[in-house]
Amino acid sequence: MRLKSDLILACAAMLMTTTGGVALADDAKPFAGQTISVLLPSPQDANMAADFEKATGIKLDLQTASWDDVSVKVSTALLAGTAPADVTEFDWSWTGQFSAADWYTPLNDTIDAATLEDIKGSTIFNVGGNVLAIPYTNDFRVMLVNKKHFDDAGVTAMPKTLDELVAAAKAIKEKGIVKYPVGLPLSATEGASTSWYLLTKAFGGDLFDKEMKPMFTAPDSAGYKAMAFEMMLLKEGLVDPASTGLKDSEINETMFAKGLTSIMISGEPGRLGQFNDPAQSVVGGQVQAIPVATESGKTRSFGLLEGLGIPRNAQNPDAAKEFIKWMTSKDFQIHNYSNGVLPTRTSALAELQKQGMLVSGEALVEQAPTVEALFPAGAPTWYPQFSLAVNTSINSAAKGEITVDQAVQRIADAVTEAMKQ
Amino acid sequence: MTLQTTGILPRLGHGVGKSADAVTAFLLVQPILVTMGGLVFYPLVDTAWDSLHRVNPMQPGTPFVGLANYTRMFSDREVGQAWLNTFRYVGICVLAETVFGVLAAALINQLRTGRRWVLAAIVLPWALPGVVSGVIWQWIFSPGPGLLNGLLVMLGFDYEGHLWFNDATSAMLGICTVHVWRMMPLTIVIVLAAMQTIPGELYEAARMDGASRLVMFRNITLPLIRGAIAVAMTNATVQAFNLFDEAIVLARNSVETRTILIQIYLEAFKKFNFSYGMALSLTVTFVSLAISLGYVLRIHRTTRLD
Repeated sequence: MRLKSDLILACAAMLMTTTGGVALADDAKPFAGQTISVLLPSPQDANMAADFEKATGIKLDLQTASWDDVSVKVSTALLAGTAPADVTEFDWSWTGQFSAADWYTPLNDTIDAATLEDIKGSTIFNVGGNVLAIPYTNDFRVMLVNKKHFDDAGVTAMPKTLDELVAAAKAIKEKGIVKYPVGLPLSATEGASTSWYLLTKAFGGDLFDKEMKPMFTAPDSAGYKAMAFEMMLLKEGLVDPASTGLKDSEINETMFAKGLTSIMISGEPGRLGQFNDPAQSVVGGQVQAIPVATESGKTRSFGLLEGLGIPRNAQNPDAAKEFIKWMTSKDFQIHNYSNGVLPTRTSALAELQKQGMLVSGEALVEQAPTVEALFPAGAPTWYPQFSLAVNTSINSAAKGEITVDQAVQRIADAVTEAMKQ
Repeated sequence: MTLQTTGILPRLGHGVGKSADAVTAFLLVQPILVTMGGLVFYPLVDTAWDSLHRVNPMQPGTPFVGLANYTRMFSDREVGQAWLNTFRYVGICVLAETVFGVLAAALINQLRTGRRWVLAAIVLPWALPGVVSGVIWQWIFSPGPGLLNGLLVMLGFDYEGHLWFNDATSAMLGICTVHVWRMMPLTIVIVLAAMQTIPGELYEAARMDGASRLVMFRNITLPLIRGAIAVAMTNATVQAFNLFDEAIVLARNSVETRTILIQIYLEAFKKFNFSYGMALSLTVTFVSLAISLGYVLRIHRTTRLD
């Protein structure tokens, strides 16, 4: 039965790739022979360059690195007045800064009304009517669990509250299934920030009020409780102390995918396909998503959409637009799910669900309506200062260098300072 | 044409005597003047000018702000911490590189055979880029399969899974270790070259007078290699002020280990406070130069007195 469904899945994937390729190959290839460079976070589809060239005749120079490294490369090049690549990653959190600096070409002519309707998240990249990027990965947060670890520990019900989550983690640890059941990045990198944002939501609060005043400094605030919760997990031996030096991607790949940890607090749903692929992970068939456990039991989450944008100084902007159209097409999005990229097109998600290919589809469907924007009015220009203060403060607190009180105050001070400039 | 009309060249056309020498000398220094002017002095002046303005790609215009970017440093807690860390790195690294470098050079100088091979092996870390050194040592310091913990456990110490970078002091010492490992070879080479110029007769005479090895080292070797030590210390100081790769690879942006150069990078490329980053860069340059100049002058004076 399993073999049969795998065969169907493989055939469907092949069919989709082939038909997608044929459909595009039949069109004119006005940019054939040109070369474009693309800079994206790893991992990406191994055959992307060959498939794109086959479809459009455009050669693809694909460069990948971890998200943090891509972020550095993009901002450094843009500040120097050069294009880091013809097409680059464009994170939701860069919108405020990049729009203010006018670094990216509006893509209004690249995206039609039907696509805009299909990719609803694209509004996050719309500043004053200019669409600066088109979302290609539907990154919102869920919790990922290793179901086998739960079963082995005798935990039958998936946690809905944070207390239940801690109890499950303790049960897994006590049974000796893994030494550190909870995966939580605590290094001075973006992953530590996003985990704290999610836990702040999980404790029922928000980071800022409507006037953008910090809401996380009081001990009874959600942000404060979230950080105290992280330190408790560390103190109780539920989180690996080595997490102070690990990025979220490293925890995903070197711990969760290897069965060394059981719960990813801030899980990426797109990675489900990858984790459940025996070729890419040793926990194939064991991983599932659950809606984010919260203090109250009523799940919440937030979105971290990632888009594709074209820097103003790109050498081949027209060929670059072809790449964006190709990568955000329904067919490629369905195909790309197997690489850990959750489609941004509603139609692609529906198709995956219909075909039974969406891992933990029910959990994702339950979580999706609860996804909120971290900054409803758009990412502020001072987001990098805020995020940097968050992850360095969490890192210092996790190493015992400062208290939670000092950490939240340090973040609030950084925000105040950044707003002044 | 312009050279003559503007009077830059002293009496061109007289091809003999002092004038010809001056012309030749002037022409010979042109390449370095042009190179230094274009690649060092112009960017320096331009950076200094920009540091007096507000340069931020997210804000329109570049208004003149005077010394605001410089005065801001005094109230910036992160910058203060980064300076403190940097001075600690400079103190530890320069001291370690000088002491161990001089001792290592003295040992290598005693070798009768195979000196060149030992030297070649010692110089290897210096040839490695800082990032590569950082990655190598990241494996050594790694809490799980790391070499260092493995060795300590093998020797009977309780260092299973020890996290070297979860404590500010051991993290800083770890970063210093990597930096010293990488930069000490240069000190060894400079000092060894100086040691090899000391006439053997001086040691023979001292030996006949019954001087011990320690006395000879203190009274003959050290005074005669002071100039080389000054050069090595200057280099070590500048390199320690420029410490970046090892710290960012081993401890990322951690506040406890952040150097002033990492702070500049964060200000300029993460926060986009470009002109503030420039002001910080210039300050680092001048502090580094002032300290280096301080002990070069001191040792030069002592050497002259000797």
